[in-house]
Amino acid sequence: MKSINGHAVAQALIYVAKKVEENKDYLCELDGEVGDGDHGVSMTIGMRAVTRAMNALPNSVSPAEVFQSAADAYANEVGATIGPLYEAAFAAAAGATANLKELNEISNWVNIYDAMVHSIQVLGKAEIGDKTMLDSFFPAVDHIRILSTKGGSLSEALHSTAKTALAAAVATKQLVPKKGRAARLGDRAIGYQDAGATSLAIVLQGFADGLDKA
Amino acid sequence: MKKLINDPFEVVDEMFNGFILANDHIVKPVGKRSIARVKSPIAGKVGIVVGGGSGHLPAFAGYVGQGMADGAAFGNIFASPPSKPIVEATVAVNGGAGVMYTYGNYQGDCINFDKAQDQCRAMGIPVQSVVLNDDVLSAPKEEASKRRGIGGLFLVWHIAGAKAEQMATLDEVVAATQKANNNTRTVGVGLTSCIVPANGMPTFTLPDDEMEIGLGIHGEPGIKRVKVRGIDSVVDEIMESILADLDYKGSDVALLVNGLGGSPAEELYVVYRRVKQICDANQINIRFKHVGEQVTALEMAGVSVSLMRLDTEMHDLIKNTVVNTCMYKKN
Repeated sequence: MKSINGHAVAQALIYVAKKVEENKDYLCELDGEVGDGDHGVSMTIGMRAVTRAMNALPNSVSPAEVFQSAADAYANEVGATIGPLYEAAFAAAAGATANLKELNEISNWVNIYDAMVHSIQVLGKAEIGDKTMLDSFFPAVDHIRILSTKGGSLSEALHSTAKTALAAAVATKQLVPKKGRAARLGDRAIGYQDAGATSLAIVLQGFADGLDKA
Repeated sequence: MKKLINDPFEVVDEMFNGFILANDHIVKPVGKRSIARVKSPIAGKVGIVVGGGSGHLPAFAGYVGQGMADGAAFGNIFASPPSKPIVEATVAVNGGAGVMYTYGNYQGDCINFDKAQDQCRAMGIPVQSVVLNDDVLSAPKEEASKRRGIGGLFLVWHIAGAKAEQMATLDEVVAATQKANNNTRTVGVGLTSCIVPANGMPTFTLPDDEMEIGLGIHGEPGIKRVKVRGIDSVVDEIMESILADLDYKGSDVALLVNGLGGSPAEELYVVYRRVKQICDANQINIRFKHVGEQVTALEMAGVSVSLMRLDTEMHDLIKNTVVNTCMYKKN
């Protein structure tokens, strides 16, 4: 992992897009069990828009400009529920990185992930335990916050944070949904893994891998 | 999967393109995914903007034209449009009397329409919203605000459009639309899944000998799966749920028997026949009726039945207003 400037973040987001699209069918399958089966499609549409936006940015771009550009891509092209949520999350990440040229410290990523998860909660009005993307994101944020007090490498911290998110996504199987289309199923949704929590974990894993390569 | 498409990720843009070309005497594009009536804005008339995910035609954009909606925003398949096309349609139809949004109760639509509403109000355009929730089986009565909006919108929008055509104020159009929604109930039954083009596979699987009661118009699961049986007893169950939820006895109603996209018109008439028998038995007077595909779910086979209770005002609005939209016409 080299120094993480805006260009590196943009490249990492393009990598995230690739990973999301590779998981499109899997995410649709998860969503189809309890929802309307298009989550992988919406995420793919969003991340394709992000990729186009990233490719249009100059190499000298700042991290905050990269995140804002990703937010705008979601805002203009996605819709659905996930569009405004990721738009808000990326805009919050832009706010958390204002004036920074590089994001080399674990604490930078604590601030980024923390801002993202809170913006999602405010807009989506969900609580922890409602079987949403918050249920993989909050444990991940808690995890990286603890790691930031212990030192260690950023790469390891991002990877272990992504693993935490993935495990938490699997654990959503136990939860009863309270938000989104699945909420209307109630107990019938127990046993199914939440698609939004899963795609969030894939995004965090994509960040960890993508920044290694950047 | 066999579909009449090119790249599955281009379906909505290509459909949008064809839609405006085919209806260019009624609508004009006002953005990449937004349309308005050719004559928009109409001075002094409340503009009605509708929208939602694609995959439901004629709903929602098919109802843009005289007597129903003034503008519409297109989302991706089964996904709410972002706020941008909603704002574009709002600006295009604002004739100085304000704009009403009306759409089905889904989290994505609520977030994006609310965002557009905030943006347009900040621009000085008065905007109000009426969110529709007619699907009886999607939540219990005490949680009616969580219910989805499905086929009943076809009936509710007759009232909304007619009231706006009379040059009523924004508050009056909103009140009439809200009243129509409060008096409308729908129950549907699905026989097969639909296929979202970019998914390429059925959203869910339903065994050959089963049907699902309460199935949503995006393939969301309903309340129960039952063995396929003679349709009369299924219609009985549909009507029982509707009549238990709202007192229709002795009332005048408007009625829709709606095909979900994959059931032939012949079968819809079989359904209508039974619905009429049940209405007669309950002294329900059908003053307006329509049998056909209106609020669809791509190629899903199945049917929904909607009843809207009419008072004198609603009766006159629905009977006396000419509707001439892209995909639905009424004298």
